[in-house]
This record gives sequence, C-alpha cells and structure tokens, in this order.
Amino acid sequence: MKGILACWSSMMRVKLAEMMAYRSHFILSVLLLIVGDLVVPLVTLLVYRSGASFPGWTLHEALLVQAVFVLAKGIAFPFFFGMVGTTLSQVREGTFDLLLLRPRPVMFMSMLSGFDPDDFGRLVSGSVLFAFAMQGIVIPGGAAWVQFSLLFIASIAILFSMSLFLSGILFRWVGSSRVFDIFDAVSGFGMYPGTIFSKALQNVFTYILPIGLIAFVPASALLGREGWGSLWTLASAAALVLLGIVYWNRMLKNYTSAGG
Amino acid sequence: MIEVNELSKKYYTFERGHTMREVIKTLVHRPMKEICAVDRISFKIEQGEMVAFLGPNGAGKSTTLKMLTGVLHPTSGEVRSLGLVPWKQRREYVRRIGAVFGQKSQLIWDIPPSDAFYMNKAIYSISDKDYAETLDELVELLQVGDVMRKPTRQLSLGERMKCEFIMAMLHRPELVFLDEPTIGLDMIAKENIRSFIRSMNKRKVTFILTTHDLEDVELLAERVMVINHGQIVVDDSLTGLRNRLGNKKSVRLTTEQPVPDSLPAGLKLLERIGPLEVELEIDTSALALKPFISQFNESYGIIDMAIEALPIEAVMKQLYEKSHTPVHSV
Repeated sequence: MKGILACWSSMMRVKLAEMMAYRSHFILSVLLLIVGDLVVPLVTLLVYRSGASFPGWTLHEALLVQAVFVLAKGIAFPFFFGMVGTTLSQVREGTFDLLLLRPRPVMFMSMLSGFDPDDFGRLVSGSVLFAFAMQGIVIPGGAAWVQFSLLFIASIAILFSMSLFLSGILFRWVGSSRVFDIFDAVSGFGMYPGTIFSKALQNVFTYILPIGLIAFVPASALLGREGWGSLWTLASAAALVLLGIVYWNRMLKNYTSAGG
Repeated sequence: MIEVNELSKKYYTFERGHTMREVIKTLVHRPMKEICAVDRISFKIEQGEMVAFLGPNGAGKSTTLKMLTGVLHPTSGEVRSLGLVPWKQRREYVRRIGAVFGQKSQLIWDIPPSDAFYMNKAIYSISDKDYAETLDELVELLQVGDVMRKPTRQLSLGERMKCEFIMAMLHRPELVFLDEPTIGLDMIAKENIRSFIRSMNKRKVTFILTTHDLEDVELLAERVMVINHGQIVVDDSLTGLRNRLGNKKSVRLTTEQPVPDSLPAGLKLLERIGPLEVELEIDTSALALKPFISQFNESYGIIDMAIEALPIEAVMKQLYEKSHTPVHSV
C-alpha cells in the first residue's frame, strides 16, 4: 500500500511538473473543461427559464443530477480515464512495452501513466454546480448524506469499470480513437433525471448500461427520493469493476507490441 | 542465467494489396497470414556475458528479446531467465532486469530526467540511500551532472541516451537488454556509451545487445548470435565468427601501375578506390602474403599498402544472404 501511494505521489508530481512546463496550455485546458462541463447545465437552465421542465423535477434538482455526474467525472477522469488515451497511443506505437517492463501491475502502470491533472477542472465545475443546486433544495439529513456518499463511491467505481472496458478494447481495436465517442454518446443520458425516459430505457440505463447509477441514483438519494434499498448499486458497481478487471486482463493477452 | 529451449512465436497478420479495389475489399474480408517470427530457437547465456543479437530486418531479434523480457508470450517453448519464467513471473523478473531502447524513450519529454529518475525510484521501491548512491555513481560514470536537470527535450541525443542508461540501471539490474543503444549517436557519444557498458559488464552485469552497428559488436560483444528467418544461424564467439572467413584478409594498395580487374587465384577485387588505389581480398590459404607482395611489387610497383582482417560486415553479408541453414558452434 505504501509503495502504491508512493508511486501515485511521484506520478502526480511528475505530471504536474509536465503541466507546469506549459502553463498556459494547462490553464486553458482547465478553463475549457469547466466551460464544456457547464454547457448542459446552462441549457437546462434556459429550458427551465423558458417555462419548460423535466416532469417531477425542479431546476435545482435537475442541476443536482448534472452536478453529481460532473463531480464523479472530476474524480474518475484524472485517475482512471486517462488510461484510455494513453493505451490508445501506446498500443499503436508499441510503447506499451515500457509499462510491461515495470515491476508493478500493468493496469496500475497504465492508470499511472494516464493520470491527467487537467481533468481536475471538472471538480471545480462540479463543485460550483453542486453548490448552486444545493441552494434550491431542502438541506438533506445525515442519513441522506451517508446514502449519497456510498452511492457516489459506486458512481466512481462504475466510471472506473467503463474506463477498463474502453481501454481494454483498444488492445483489439488498435488505434480506434472513437472509443471516446462511444462513451460520450452513451454517458450523455446520465446527465438527466432517469424518470424522464421511458420505463424500458430506464431499465437499460440501470441494468445494462448503468449510466443512470452514476448520477441519477446518488442525486435521488440526496433528495430523499431513494430508500436504503438503492444501496444494491454498490454490489452492482463492485461486480462491474470485477468484470472490468477480468476483461482488461483478458484483452491484454491480445497485445502483440509493434515492430522492433 | 538464461536458458531458452525450442522457443517459437507466431503472429497472425492481415494481408492486403495496394489497389483501390483490394483496399475496399478489406472492409468486408481481410485474408490472414501466419508469420513465424521465431522458430524453435534454443540457447544458453551465462552470467556476465556480453552477447550481440544480429540479423537482418524482420529476422526475429526484437521478438526474441520481447519474449526474454516478458513483454510477449511465446507460442511454444520455454525460457528460464534468472531462475524465472519471464511472462509468468513478470513483476518479480523485471525487478531484476533493465532495458534501453534506442527508439523508445523512457524519459519524459518536457521535464528533466532527474524527475523521471525519481519516479522510477518509487516504481522500483528503491530506498533513499540506495537511490542516492546509485544515482551518484551513474551520474559520475556518465558525466551527466549538469545535464540531468534540463528538460529532456533540450538535451542532445547523446545526453539523452546517457540518461536512458541511468533510468535502466537505477535499480541495479543483473541483466540488461540493449536495443540499438547507439543509434544516431556521434562517435564520441558512442564511445562513452560503450565504455559505460564495458565498465558495468566488468561488474558482472550481463548484457544482451541488438544492433545493426557492427562496430558495437566488434568493440563490445564476446559472443554473437545471428538470427535469420526466425532461426539462429550462427552462435559463436567473435573470433569464431571472423574465422568463418577462413584465411582471408583485406589489402589496400596504392601502386605505380593500375591493377587490372582480372586477378590471379586467391585474389579478389573488392573496390577500386582510385585509378592507382584498390582494395583486394586475399585468401592466404591459396596465395601466401610473401609471394603476393613480391609478385605485385614486381608487376605493379607498390607505393603504399595496408593489410587488415576482413571487416565483420563481410561475414554478416554472407550470413544474411544465405537461406536458413542453422549452424551452431559454441
């Protein structure tokens, strides 16, 4: 454990140093990420200001769902999602070999090398949105916060498993940069309260592509709309992570390096 | 230290033609082709050896090395290196090996190598004391004290390669794989790197080197393995390799009269450098040096002469041009 923390600490230091070598790029990236993440909430705001709404959801409740999604991305993306991009380039170029030459689990090295401090900008935008959303709702009780915290951990676990599925597929679909588009296309549905979709779609987003579990369920728990039964999400998230790990390691066997 | 037994690696690759029709056809159907990159090779390497792996492009050198480093799983065969199976006990194994790639950098482009060294310290769990001692020693040997605090992108290729060696050796590996370590370097940088490798080898670090630079082979390697078409065609000492040329020598002559193209038995024209300067190959088993010098001086008048052993390129060229007929001798 001490060794793992030392590796993370060292890598964070290195990555930050890399970012600081091009400070304006770093600042611009963070700003653009913040702006990008606030587009959907701004559109939601405009929708509500025009008189329309998501049935059963106030503006602040809808924004809370989006805030939770952005916050979850703000933690998962810097630590886990970078491995999708680095796997894409490293497998294609054959430099993934260098990760296999390190005395650490390959998955861990892949996550380390993909660590991206830029993505912490999402934590900023998510926090701002969260604070704004909380202003318009009744302050939740302690139980709701506990439920929310546990379900938020599940959200991050689900995003982690998604990063494993996306990066694992790149050992087979070498150079396929469209994996990001797959994620964006699917995850977009998670930015909205699940009840606005048909029952069939809700089931898809709960039991097949667990997008709804990332933000909708934790936000609903915070709003007191979910009972303790919603904690089954934790088991589901754990199962997904396990499946993701098995899948990733299985796909790693497809890696054949590039030429000498 | 390393035992390889009937090691093989097969790939499947997609074939396609170059015409527009063939390219579009691959959208629907891509014919696959099996490539046998490494074909049942076997060898042993002892601790402290310096072995050069040679072979033409696509011979299977890098594939063999990747299996020895645990990066690739073989199709069949066995390897035991440092008492471990590289691809099965990877994490334990790679803790004891190092690798330097001439074409894949382990440094981080935008920040100083010293930061990358520190990151390696954490990854290999090197203690502060060992890190400081080893780093000081390597920095002293390679003379990169001033250089390692500059961003990697500002370093020359020679400086970068020295830092790559430090990255590979910080954890004091027993076995080091070098993949074209001197590629693109000037002669002074090459000599610095070679000198470092020799000093490490004296400390019983085993080196396995792949290179196309035959000077590296001549100045570093004690043993040469030539791979062609996935098989080992030669496994011999450097002296043994030279002896394959028999008793042939290279003679560079400047004469008073031009030397004709047709020459007596035992002589072969290698290169006509100028109207009165030639390089010949002499087979001393057919024509001894003393009569050759005497006859040539009488016929053409020798002004200047230099006799050397045939360069190793001559052997390699013969070996690369042969089809795979394995010849082992060690």
